[in-house]
Amino acid sequence: MNPKIWHNLWLVLAALALVLGLGAALAWPAEPPALRVTLQPPVGPLKMGDTPNFLGAVTNLSPQPAQGLVVYLSLVSLAPGHEHPVDLEDWSAQKAVRLDRLNPGATDFRNWGMRLIQAGKYGVALTVVDPRENRPIVSDLVPFEVQSKVTLLSSRVLPVALGEPLLILIFFAGLRFFYAGRKCRPNHNDERLDSNGGHI
Amino acid sequence: MNLLRPLIGKEIQEDFRSARGAFFLVVAALVLSVFAVLLVSNTELSLLDNAQAVYLMAGLVIALAALVAVLRGSEGFAGERERETLETLLLTPATGHRLAWAKLLGILFSWLILFILAIPYLWAVGSAGQNLLPALWYLFITGTLIVLILGGPALAFSARMKSFKGVLSLGLTLLLLLGSPVVLGPSLRQSAVGRILDLANPLAGTLNTLDSVIIDSQGVALQLVRLTIMIAYSLAVLWFLKAVTRRIEP
Repeated sequence: MNPKIWHNLWLVLAALALVLGLGAALAWPAEPPALRVTLQPPVGPLKMGDTPNFLGAVTNLSPQPAQGLVVYLSLVSLAPGHEHPVDLEDWSAQKAVRLDRLNPGATDFRNWGMRLIQAGKYGVALTVVDPRENRPIVSDLVPFEVQSKVTLLSSRVLPVALGEPLLILIFFAGLRFFYAGRKCRPNHNDERLDSNGGHI
Repeated sequence: MNLLRPLIGKEIQEDFRSARGAFFLVVAALVLSVFAVLLVSNTELSLLDNAQAVYLMAGLVIALAALVAVLRGSEGFAGERERETLETLLLTPATGHRLAWAKLLGILFSWLILFILAIPYLWAVGSAGQNLLPALWYLFITGTLIVLILGGPALAFSARMKSFKGVLSLGLTLLLLLGSPVVLGPSLRQSAVGRILDLANPLAGTLNTLDSVIIDSQGVALQLVRLTIMIAYSLAVLWFLKAVTRRIEP
């Protein structure tokens, strides 16, 4: 047989396999995740210094109990042009918890508190890692904005900053004046010595 | 103790009676004032969390304390020698050890005064926030240890070296050596070598302890390793000082 025909036949078969494979992959229903994770933001505006709680919920959708789940919070700064992950340690936030067991259909509710230390736009998400699965499950990203707040009050800082050096200067000037006065003052005992002819 | 009392009194008086002592206290207050004014006048800095402001202020107090320890330690015996007053001091029944203890207590007293001066500033920037009281406690503890760790060797060198300038150069070099890894970025300090250096360096240990307590609100259990290392350094310094000041040359 003509080798060109063989070559064309191989090409047709390869194309057919590719089309069938893709079709099967698309048509096959994806396995539903065994866990569902959600995160709810606190109500109302947030400003620096606040300690809001984000309510996280992990639900076991599978008929089997889930064991050894690791749930952790992730925080990212969404400031345009300066997007970066944020270290939760500085935000005094609980980083992760381990759920020993979650029964089928059960939901673990948990408050994830954090102290808002810097103004800006942020996003927070909750991730669950199931040791039986090779893919972590992440909640929707919850965006939130922290309003700036002046934390250092000039009415409190300025009196100290201006007053303390002044007080120290006055203290030392007073001390110097006191010692200078003591040096100049005639000694009372000396006078008595003089008046009594130096006998006392 | 009776013999030590007048010696300690003499050292303490230098903080109040001498122009040098007064000058230092005024300068220290001015440095803290300038920093506090900078914190409130700068828009970005005035938005800092109170705990962060307290941490920055506490770091500055530690830097001043380290400088005081080196300056007063270097001046201890070498200054007396240059002013030709050491010989008179050595004629007293006090031994070299006792003179060294008195001078070390004088340095610690200077630190105590600096700490008292710093309290209003720390209150002004941190009273509305978290962890002000633990910050004061840990600042006092770590500051005392740093003053011992830096002031002790400076005093020991000054007992042996003839020139005040020489001791001061050595002390400042030591301070610079201890301070240089602290200015490295956190990423460089994350490596194994960086972590060991961080743990071994008392100045880094102090700043890490203050960071952990003030900003991260962590408890005493997490500070134990760092504090134990610093206490070990302090004991070693006291032993070194005792060994060096057994006999002091005029």
